[in-house]
Amino acid sequence: MSARPTTFPRRLRLRPARRPFGPRAAALGAVAALLVPALTACGGAASPATGDATLKWASSYFPAHWDPVVSGSGAQFRQLSLVYASLTRTDEDGKAVPDLAESWSYNDRGDRITFTLRPGQRFSDGEPVDAAAVKAAIERAQKQENSALFGDLTSIGKVEANGLEATLHLTQVDYQIPQLLGQRVLQIASPKAAEDPAKLDQHPVGAGPFVIEQLVPGTKAVLRKNPGYWDAADIHIDHVELVSAPDASTVVSGLRTGVYNFADIDPSQADAAKKAGLDVFVQPGFNAANLSLNVNKAPFDDDRVVDAVRHAVDRREFVDKLTFGYGEATDQPFPKGYVAYDPESENAYPHDPARARKLLAEAGHRPGDLRLDLVIPSEDPQAEIVQSQLAAVGITVTIRIDKNWATPFFAKDLTFSLYGTTGRDSAVQTLTAHFGPDGPLNLSTPYEPDGFEEAVAKVRQTPLDAPGYAGTLRAATRAGLKSRALVFTYASPNLFAKTRAVSGLPKNPGHVDWTGVTVSGGN
Amino acid sequence: MVRRVLALTSGRIAVVILAVIALLALLGPWLAPQDPLATGDHALAAYSAGHWMGTDHLGRDVLSRLLDGSRVSVLGSLEVALVALVAGAVPGILSVHLGRVFEWLTLRIADTLVALPFLLFAIAVIALLGNGITQAMLVTGTLVSPLFYRVSRAATLAVARSAYVEAAIVSGASIGWIVRRHVWAKVLPPIAVALAQTVGVGFVIVSSLTFLGIGVQPPEPTWGGLLASDLGYLGHRPWAPVAPALLIMITVWACNLLADAIRDVSGEAGRAPANDRKARAHRREAAGPHPAGGSR
Repeated sequence: MSARPTTFPRRLRLRPARRPFGPRAAALGAVAALLVPALTACGGAASPATGDATLKWASSYFPAHWDPVVSGSGAQFRQLSLVYASLTRTDEDGKAVPDLAESWSYNDRGDRITFTLRPGQRFSDGEPVDAAAVKAAIERAQKQENSALFGDLTSIGKVEANGLEATLHLTQVDYQIPQLLGQRVLQIASPKAAEDPAKLDQHPVGAGPFVIEQLVPGTKAVLRKNPGYWDAADIHIDHVELVSAPDASTVVSGLRTGVYNFADIDPSQADAAKKAGLDVFVQPGFNAANLSLNVNKAPFDDDRVVDAVRHAVDRREFVDKLTFGYGEATDQPFPKGYVAYDPESENAYPHDPARARKLLAEAGHRPGDLRLDLVIPSEDPQAEIVQSQLAAVGITVTIRIDKNWATPFFAKDLTFSLYGTTGRDSAVQTLTAHFGPDGPLNLSTPYEPDGFEEAVAKVRQTPLDAPGYAGTLRAATRAGLKSRALVFTYASPNLFAKTRAVSGLPKNPGHVDWTGVTVSGGN
Repeated sequence: MVRRVLALTSGRIAVVILAVIALLALLGPWLAPQDPLATGDHALAAYSAGHWMGTDHLGRDVLSRLLDGSRVSVLGSLEVALVALVAGAVPGILSVHLGRVFEWLTLRIADTLVALPFLLFAIAVIALLGNGITQAMLVTGTLVSPLFYRVSRAATLAVARSAYVEAAIVSGASIGWIVRRHVWAKVLPPIAVALAQTVGVGFVIVSSLTFLGIGVQPPEPTWGGLLASDLGYLGHRPWAPVAPALLIMITVWACNLLADAIRDVSGEAGRAPANDRKARAHRREAAGPHPAGGSR
């Protein structure tokens, strides 16, 4: 392993000119001669690089699971896509394009789709990437006990494997499948490795652009380029060191000193990163945060209380205080401008504290009478803003941090909580996850708004390239937004910082795609 | 002892600082110029007439939050010290007098408690019992109690072997009477030193736990919590962590200063002159006039 003195030359160049020679310079030179090897060793001692292009990525979303079936986190699949490829991926317009599958076609009725895989592909353990592997991946995602994906695959019935052709028999007409089976939902693992899911969880084997060399659970993953990846010619990164970012406030320092050359950062750190001369950029995405209400439980079983909460929310405050200008207000599960965003539904419940107080009074709640527990998994300033805004209309909120929050949330036992989605490649999937009767993000299961199911079915039946697709999709969004169970607040940005050594990334919404990205020698 | 502590400069400084901190804890919430929980439009604002110490990331007045947060920090550290005192000193004294079984049992419990890392244990207990500073400090106090156990036991052992205690036993005095009449006066000074130290340690523990977001529910302010949240916005308010950090540091320093002062004026050291001037005078008197020349 070589320790590359990647940082110091740049940092020295950035310093203002001082007296170049003299005793002080000599002393500094001596100190630098001692420190440079030591400090660069700290930054890159673990690097397997042999002078090759190494991406050093610090992430707050280091995967807890490396089995793509188990990892349900919306942010972590971006890291898993280093190792795993999918049948399809999304391009910069958000459309499904070939990945492991080189093409696909529907039957005339739209209830059967056949994916044709690229020939000659292999997983990193040597197993072939064929239709049998696709069938195994889908069936595992549908049946494995700890699968986080089975709810997303309800449209898929039987899978037929025939050489490189995988035919999916659908339970309903559904033209969303190519988008659905993008990076988020069906990252395909080697069927042989997946025979032992527990082992796969810590020793991932895929057919993606990189192969795991070393994995320290929860801390660090070292990967090398996969020469067998179908698009290896467009992958110009030789090694990846993915590390769990220790703390948001230290990431910028890590980037400045060359410990990392790429990191996802908190918006609060963007200003410091820019001042440090780093490239700060927003990767397009589908992120949206919400207040989750359980309308099956008091007091949200009263429509007037739900409406009061809707009118109490000032979305601008979330944007200003949490995103530092990088996010935007949204009252839908998508950011503005996305194909599924419905302009007709915009601002249906404007910030109006007086009206909120009136609605609460009509519901028989005097100011301060209504007390709610807001249960969240960890400290979150978003909760404090909610508490403050609801206090302004007379609702007293107590924030409760529950480290086991996921269990009662997904069991739909909570009354009031917060959630933020990173979205799905398929807009329909995002809608059903939030508004469907069994949607994982619908805290009010089995409640669903009237007309939602019909509207969603209509979208599924509409080919993605049909002229009326966007309008049908927006109608489904409109139907979903009648739900009383969710109050959307703001879209947070996918914010990244990188050194100038790393070239720009493709602007694929919701993804971090390394195709064509280069890492030059210095950081 | 109080008079002797106050006779020392270090003792006076410590007492004044701790008195101010105690006043902050008592009156802080009333002294706060604004509602410490009320968010405002101007987040991460600098010093101004309206916000003497600026505002935090949600636009809340930092001075008000510091004042309001002093109570949790002070009460938490006092809880640690008092729990440790009761759970440690009482069995420590009694272990000398209540027979071998009680002695063996308490020694083993003390050994066990010493082996447990209190910060991690406090986190584990909070995970079990729910997030609250009271239970966290109760556990931490119990884990710190072996310090009091050992100090009080050592002091009691020294007294228990003295001739006047043996005489009291022979003359039929009860254990309670012996403890009250002879033991307590001897054990009190080292316990007072340990208590002052433990309040300081308690401060560090409370600050550490609240820094990690453990023990209090947001948005309740604490000094440790303020320090943690300020660190996330260093790029915007680089000076912000100074105030909570300084308060924690000064308070812990004052506790240690007080412990030193008590140690200096108590026990054998306490019988010596209580300040440097007196000590120097004492040494000069003891040395006597130097001979003018030659020897002998």
